[in-house]
Amino acid sequence: MKSYVLTRIGLSIPMVLIILTIVFFVLRVLPGNPVLAMLGPKAPPEVVKEMEHKMGLDKPILVQYVNYLKNIAQGKFGESTVTGMPVIKELMQKFPATLELTIFAMIVAVLIGIFYGTYAAYNLGKPIDVSARIYSIFVYSFPVFWFGLMLQLVFGVWLHWLPVSGEASPFMTPDKTYTGMYVVDAIINGQWDVLKDSLNHLILPSITLGVVISSIFVRMVRANVVLTLSQQFVVAARARGVKEKTVLFKHALKNALPPILTIMGLQFALLLGGAVLTEVTFSWPGIGSYLVSRIHARDFPAIQGTIVFFAIFVAIISILVDVINAWINPRVRY
Amino acid sequence: MKRLFKLLLLLVVAFGISLPQAKAISQKDYIIIGTTDKVSSLDPAKAYDYLSDNILQNLMEGLVKYVPGTAKIVPGLAQKWEVSKDGLTYTFWLKKNLKFSNGDPINAEAFKFSIERVIKLKGEPSFLLSDIVKDVEVVNDREFKIHLKYAFAPFINILAFPVSFPVDPKVYKDNAFYNGLPVSSGPYMVKKWVRGQQIELVRNPNYHGEKAKTPIVLIKLYRNANALYIALLNKEVDIAYRTLLPQQFNQIKKNKNFKTMIGPSPFIREVVFNVKQKPFDNKKIRKAFAYAINRAQIINDVFNGQVSPLYTLIPEGMWGHKPVMPHYNQKKAIEILKSLGYSKTNPLKITLWYSPSHYGSTEAAVALTIKNQLEATGLVKCQLKSAEWATYIDYWTKGVMGMFLLGWYPDYFDPDDYMWPFLATSASPQMGCFYSNKKVDELLLKARKLTDVKERAKVYEQVQQIMAQDAPYIPLFQGKQRVVLKPNIEGVLLDPLQIFRYYLIRKK
Repeated sequence: MKSYVLTRIGLSIPMVLIILTIVFFVLRVLPGNPVLAMLGPKAPPEVVKEMEHKMGLDKPILVQYVNYLKNIAQGKFGESTVTGMPVIKELMQKFPATLELTIFAMIVAVLIGIFYGTYAAYNLGKPIDVSARIYSIFVYSFPVFWFGLMLQLVFGVWLHWLPVSGEASPFMTPDKTYTGMYVVDAIINGQWDVLKDSLNHLILPSITLGVVISSIFVRMVRANVVLTLSQQFVVAARARGVKEKTVLFKHALKNALPPILTIMGLQFALLLGGAVLTEVTFSWPGIGSYLVSRIHARDFPAIQGTIVFFAIFVAIISILVDVINAWINPRVRY
Repeated sequence: MKRLFKLLLLLVVAFGISLPQAKAISQKDYIIIGTTDKVSSLDPAKAYDYLSDNILQNLMEGLVKYVPGTAKIVPGLAQKWEVSKDGLTYTFWLKKNLKFSNGDPINAEAFKFSIERVIKLKGEPSFLLSDIVKDVEVVNDREFKIHLKYAFAPFINILAFPVSFPVDPKVYKDNAFYNGLPVSSGPYMVKKWVRGQQIELVRNPNYHGEKAKTPIVLIKLYRNANALYIALLNKEVDIAYRTLLPQQFNQIKKNKNFKTMIGPSPFIREVVFNVKQKPFDNKKIRKAFAYAINRAQIINDVFNGQVSPLYTLIPEGMWGHKPVMPHYNQKKAIEILKSLGYSKTNPLKITLWYSPSHYGSTEAAVALTIKNQLEATGLVKCQLKSAEWATYIDYWTKGVMGMFLLGWYPDYFDPDDYMWPFLATSASPQMGCFYSNKKVDELLLKARKLTDVKERAKVYEQVQQIMAQDAPYIPLFQGKQRVVLKPNIEGVLLDPLQIFRYYLIRKK
């Protein structure tokens, strides 16, 4: 097991390194001078040169690359050219909001995926199964921003039930922040009004994101449960007179879950990056919209920092998923 | 299971007891302003975008300020000032007992520190001071002199722009931009700033002037016009200012739950030619294009009539404005192009550039309309190309783009700010135009040194006439301020300088 874990970690290092390298060189190949974007077109040429020197942009590209790797190895992500703040500090401010949204979207997606997928498998070939397959294709092709906008219109503008932007109402933020996730902080502070408010703000964006990714889960759960339902132990359970509900959830679904969990874990990591459109639609102050705004400003340190952060995060999650999977099912270790 | 339920119930009761008091902020105590603008920095030495500067106009005060709703300059932190006969020295006397929001004194040293700091830090707006100011001399705690490199008539207007506002020398460093919460000298101070999300302003207890009408102003930042529009319809904001799409604004006008206001704006849009690049080095071609562009069509089709046509670079409503550019005349455009040898079989092939997001989502439609108008002559083939803003800046400063769309928002309210940056040999490359004309340079410098407004206006008239002949730019239209409010909001003033004064707004 130990060697397996070490191998997985060892394999992740070149993956992260490749991503870092691609991001670094792509940014340098793209047109658009970050110094000009920062200082504006009116900046005198000598000031531009001075700033380029200060940022090390006048050095040969390979020297810049080596310095970049050195800094990252020391945990230095640099300072944003837009705000002048350390990128890592900005990321730490934005990350909890994205994590919170992703967790809730995941809950929505998993709940829809498990129940709809399982019932569809149980009713193979019947209308509910057909509807599940149509749902998967239909929902997968939804443009996220369109779906979000529709929810905003119906539940925000027409019915006035739910807020449509941000993660809290005015003056409804937690008094003390521990995790940066409003729901968690509100619980720790015992601020139930803040908790209710932040949950209200989470409903529409997490449903938007959750529904869109639920399509993958519905298909996956359905396929796996169909497979397990046809296996001998299910037939045996039914022959023993076990209730259908128990057969379905305790026998079939339980045995179909391990491969589903693997995909769900990876999907969770990918979701963190994929939340961009939802964040933009709902003015959600997360890392996705942060990245988009910094790409517009050619904020090299912020863009590089965010992508490195993601790469490392995705690598860690995928290692964890692999290790858990290997622990549950020793056959995967070869 | 039952045990677990009991435990949960106990926990809920325990937390329930510690339930905090409901927040005691009444609806009347705060106003929420929604916008799609961004805040880059609240350091006067660095701030150089609309919202950052506008927030600073509410947080800080300079030596002088504009009378709300007018372009008239009156004393701010200065009690009075004197200008030497040669126009090179400005002496200021400060009001008594001025304090920053943190209680530190606002004195002559603070001004010397602030002005020198801006020049030293070389931030984006620093040229406004560094090009003109020679040094600052402190006479005593309340008196100081600003010596200029050369006489510059609009200097007093620059002192009303945030770049000249004082910062606390005990808090701000002279070798680095400041990222913390600003120390205020104006009606409001920042209580909380969640970057990219919202800024909460509260009254500055040490402000020397009239206190702000509303105790708290919350500025909420939205990602795009759609997000702002939906939030407005959902009544999450009291005021939506900058920027809804023209169609959304028209929709809201019909909605009885909101009030709308339209006011003047000094914001202008123009076509820029790189006069060094072929075929735009030929002024006849530029002139032909000036005839071919139909501003009325752009204004009606793209902006639903919510902007007004502009025939010179100096906006309407400002002294010196002379609408000199040719009006739409397709026949004349065809005539000129034919005289240059272009025909249907041998059309003039050009590229028009635009930036898809910097000027809002109407920009692509503006570019397309101009392309169609040029092609309607039958003698031009126009290709459209776009680049994101950072790339766009890079392209125009390097002279890559021959013809492109640009906009201008003034730094100070004076015709000089609409002429010098566009037409002076030293400044026009930064606009991507590379225009140079000795006569124009002489006139522009002359106008800077004159103090009499009438004489200056005459000089600017001459410059505009030359500009119309050479056509290095085609001014297109002048913006308008559009604001949507809930019916219970009062005190919104759309002044000609486009300073949005939060401190005058209140709820009924």
